[in-house]
Amino acid sequence: MRETRLWSLHILVLPIIAVLLGMHFAVMHYAPVFYGMSVDKAREFSTMIERGKSVTQLVLYILLLAAALYHGLYGLRGIIRELPLTPVLVKVVDAGIITFGLFIFAFGTYVTWWTFSYKIGG
Amino acid sequence: MNSNKPTAYNNRLGIKGWVYAGRYTFERYLYLGHRVSGLGLIAYMVLHIIETANRMRGVEAWQGLMALFASWPFKIIEYLLFAMAVFHAMNGVRLLVTELGFFLGKPREPVYPYSTSIKRHRPLTFVIMGLAAMIIILGGSSLFFP
Ligand code: HEM
Repeated sequence: MRETRLWSLHILVLPIIAVLLGMHFAVMHYAPVFYGMSVDKAREFSTMIERGKSVTQLVLYILLLAAALYHGLYGLRGIIRELPLTPVLVKVVDAGIITFGLFIFAFGTYVTWWTFSYKIGG
Repeated sequence: MNSNKPTAYNNRLGIKGWVYAGRYTFERYLYLGHRVSGLGLIAYMVLHIIETANRMRGVEAWQGLMALFASWPFKIIEYLLFAMAVFHAMNGVRLLVTELGFFLGKPREPVYPYSTSIKRHRPLTFVIMGLAAMIIILGGSSLFFP
């Protein structure tokens, strides 16, 4: 049952990733097509800070971070689990992936928060 | 670790199974591509989170990094990343459709010439991969000719 739930979550986060990753690509990589703004301008420090001040962006980025990290790391776990591991090693892999995922999630959230709370001019 | 003693884990193919586990069909190559692109995306995502944290080192550090990303080798890497994401997402849609039991046809008597669910599903596979190829080509044109 636990495995079914973990797998279902791996699938259920997909619509979130599809929409938010699509938006991220549109803003950062295809700004000339979708926003009439050059890629260089879209990636300028001031533009990035201005975008990062929006609460919507703060929430959506953290959501994308959580969804994509979960989907990707769960996929990685599945691949590693195809190896002939002993039950102890399976637990070590699980613990390692969870720790790593939480660390990267915390770090990404901190950077997103840093951008959101950045004081322009000081 | 991989002893001959029968254990619950002994029937797995291990690394050999990742690379080659039997007769290859088109879908088998898609499976490999899905795996490689999935691993590529998660590796890139982690690097991307670390690399964009460079903003905390100030305006100059950020602009320097962005200038590096505007160079040709990085543009090509960025395009490969886009292509990987599109392929993975489109093939992922195909996998979901299959996993939910659509486009597989009804089970039939195994009468020669055999019609497998994979074969019945193949037209959809070609349509989805054709769409993926189109998006990848169109995406490249706006990345390289802004
Ligand atoms: C819209 C975007 C995406 C879609 C539709 C998608 C779809 C899928 C599907 C259907 C699977 C197989 C699940 C299963 O049958 O058990 C999968 C596996 C996987 N995905 Fe994604 N995915 C997407 C984005 C991503 C991203 C952004 C990453 C990385 C951060 C990623 C990493 C992986 C990995 C590592 C696997 C495991 C591959 C394997 O077992 O061979 N995916 N994906």
